[in-house]
Amino acid sequence: MGTISSAFAMISGALNADQAALSIVANNVANANTPGYTQETPNWRQNAPIDINGVSLGDGVSETGATSLRDSVLGARLDQQQQLASASSARLTALDSVQALFTPDSGSISSTAGDIGSDITSFFNSFSSLEANPTDNAKRQQVLSSAITLAGDVSNAAASLNSQRSALDQEASGVTSQVNALTSAISQLNLQIQSTSPGADAGTLQDQRDEDIGQLSQLIGINQVKTENNGLSITTTSGQLLVAGGSNFQLTTGSVNGVTDFFLGGNNITAALTTGGGQLGGDLTARDQDIPTALSSLDQLAYSVSTSVNALNNTGTDLDGATGTAANPLYIFNQPTAVAGSAANMSVVMTDPNQIAAAGLGAGTGDNANATAMANLAKAASATLNNQTPTDFYSSFVSTLGATVSGVQAENTAQNASVTQLQTQNNALSGVNLNDEAAAMSTLQSSYQAASQVFTMLNTLMAAALNLGDQTTVA
Amino acid sequence: MRVDPTYVSNLVGSLDQTQLNEQQLTAELSSGVAINSLGQNPVGSGENVILLNQIQQDDSFTQSTHLVTGQLQVADSTLGSVVTQLTQAISLATSANNGTMNASDVESIGSQISGILNEVQSLANTSYQGQYIFAGGQTSIQPFTTSSATSPAVTTYNGDQDVNYLQTPNGQKIQLNVPGSQVFSASGSNSVFGALNNLVADYSSGTVNTTQAVSDTEALSTALNYVSQQRVTIDNSITQVTATSEAITSDQTQLTTAQTNLMQADVGQVSTQLSLAETQQTALEDVIAQLNSSSNSLFSKIQA
Repeated sequence: MGTISSAFAMISGALNADQAALSIVANNVANANTPGYTQETPNWRQNAPIDINGVSLGDGVSETGATSLRDSVLGARLDQQQQLASASSARLTALDSVQALFTPDSGSISSTAGDIGSDITSFFNSFSSLEANPTDNAKRQQVLSSAITLAGDVSNAAASLNSQRSALDQEASGVTSQVNALTSAISQLNLQIQSTSPGADAGTLQDQRDEDIGQLSQLIGINQVKTENNGLSITTTSGQLLVAGGSNFQLTTGSVNGVTDFFLGGNNITAALTTGGGQLGGDLTARDQDIPTALSSLDQLAYSVSTSVNALNNTGTDLDGATGTAANPLYIFNQPTAVAGSAANMSVVMTDPNQIAAAGLGAGTGDNANATAMANLAKAASATLNNQTPTDFYSSFVSTLGATVSGVQAENTAQNASVTQLQTQNNALSGVNLNDEAAAMSTLQSSYQAASQVFTMLNTLMAAALNLGDQTTVA
Repeated sequence: MRVDPTYVSNLVGSLDQTQLNEQQLTAELSSGVAINSLGQNPVGSGENVILLNQIQQDDSFTQSTHLVTGQLQVADSTLGSVVTQLTQAISLATSANNGTMNASDVESIGSQISGILNEVQSLANTSYQGQYIFAGGQTSIQPFTTSSATSPAVTTYNGDQDVNYLQTPNGQKIQLNVPGSQVFSASGSNSVFGALNNLVADYSSGTVNTTQAVSDTEALSTALNYVSQQRVTIDNSITQVTATSEAITSDQTQLTTAQTNLMQADVGQVSTQLSLAETQQTALEDVIAQLNSSSNSLFSKIQA
């Protein structure tokens, strides 16, 4: 048979439980806008019943703390998608700067400045014009000035690409210290979690750890593996260990062939990080693939134009009747020795327009055979240019670059949409919903009021029992 | 069912996207250019390079044709004058050869033909923009000089056999000059200067060796025909240049239309898109304002 005392005990337990639950609601509301905070719900537990004389009697309720509403699988998927989206964002930013160097020429006169495609055309056209009057000084000057424009625009583009590359290099090495700070924080949190909550969700600590992993996912590609006692191992996408329980392994950088490479425990993991994802992956992809591809196309163009024009000019006859010799070659452009670096070093070495060899070898200075031959280079497929003419090569270069940009753009849009979707799912589960909190608070308020009423009533009942009918002894 | 409590921030994301879209459309409208970056239309960007190349090539060729037309016309009119002079020389020679003239008349004809010789030589040494047009490739050297050390005098050609061509954008070659040797001093009976120098010598003494003079006059007639033939080459080139220039100009017009279609923003389409984007932006702003102004949680309904 239950007693008034046990009823007191039950109802005061209920009041305690309601208070504890209310403080969880208060904490949720307080952290409604805290990044990484996971909504908590009170754990209610019905106390074990008591058997008295074969009758099972309830023994009230306990509140045993809070549970974070967390889906670790969803969280890991969000992190993974975040790595991909960050990589494509970083790559897209870099590619945007690259494509800005090759803005399409609208065809109006003001837009032709700086357009390499128009420069190539103007340069070879200047030889076509020279055909009409091979001895004309103005036309010869035109050849030199269009050569200077072409060489200037090509070498400027190459210089800009090189400086974009070194900016990416610096950005990438700057990411290293952020990665190291985060992995070190995660390993510390691992230790705390393993010691305070080895068997269950660690609440706030785990929120912090998840938040750090989320930030790490924006920087590099990682895999996370749950270990015993609620610990966590983090490796790079290709499997190099960054965090194992309480220890973390620092990324280091070093200069290799003029660019920054990344090391973990003495191993060069640059290539693995490039394909791994995150901002670092995107930066490295742009630094090691996209920009070098664009640069090498420009190099091919510069090499082919410089060497083929130089070779022809050197074997023709100039306005002074001279022909190039080994000692005094008649070169228009700085003669490149190798394809690599040709674009950056492209320049015009000829200063005297009379040295343009418009006439064929051995012909009179009024001849235009060599000018025609040089003009025809515009239509000649070159092995250096993948058997294309200079204009076709430049055209396919801009198409390829544009296709890369638009491909990465599409990829980035899709990945961001996917991140948003996962984020929405995750927020729906783990975010603090103020409506839910308001409802919970109202419910708790009602049950607290009810419990208080029961308590008051029990108090009156107890007083009546103690006074045995006399109303005045105990109130 | 649980919902994402931060949906307002997603709406703000949509609002940003809409504004970016509007910004791009406004840029297209203000610049009038449809392709502002390679990524926007990779294939179109590549095509644009090729089209511009062809347009500029055509443009450059059209400019060249103006220049060479001038040169060809000078050559043509020069050869026209040569023909006139030679015709006159032949008629003078024919009258001298009929045997009715006295010695002083013959000598006078000889000196007239000598004058014609000088005139023809100066025509053969015509220059255009400082360059001798009948000198082959040696355009800086006066092509014809006459030495009177011997009788008959000898006119020497100092140029070469070089022929220049203007190449059209489609690879066709148009001949730009005829070497002077081919016009005036071709070997054998076709040589203008040979025939003229012989006639001058024939009439210089006042007594005419009729057989020789008649043969030399016939030689001059043959040479005249030959000059006319060479003039046809120049006339053909002029016709060719004019025809090609017209064809290239019409080609250029077509290419420019194609390039404009490719690169020019479709104002109607862009304006419609911009107006749609603006509507979307207004709608999103209204939704966000509504959500913010109304109670956005049950808390506002709970009375303390």
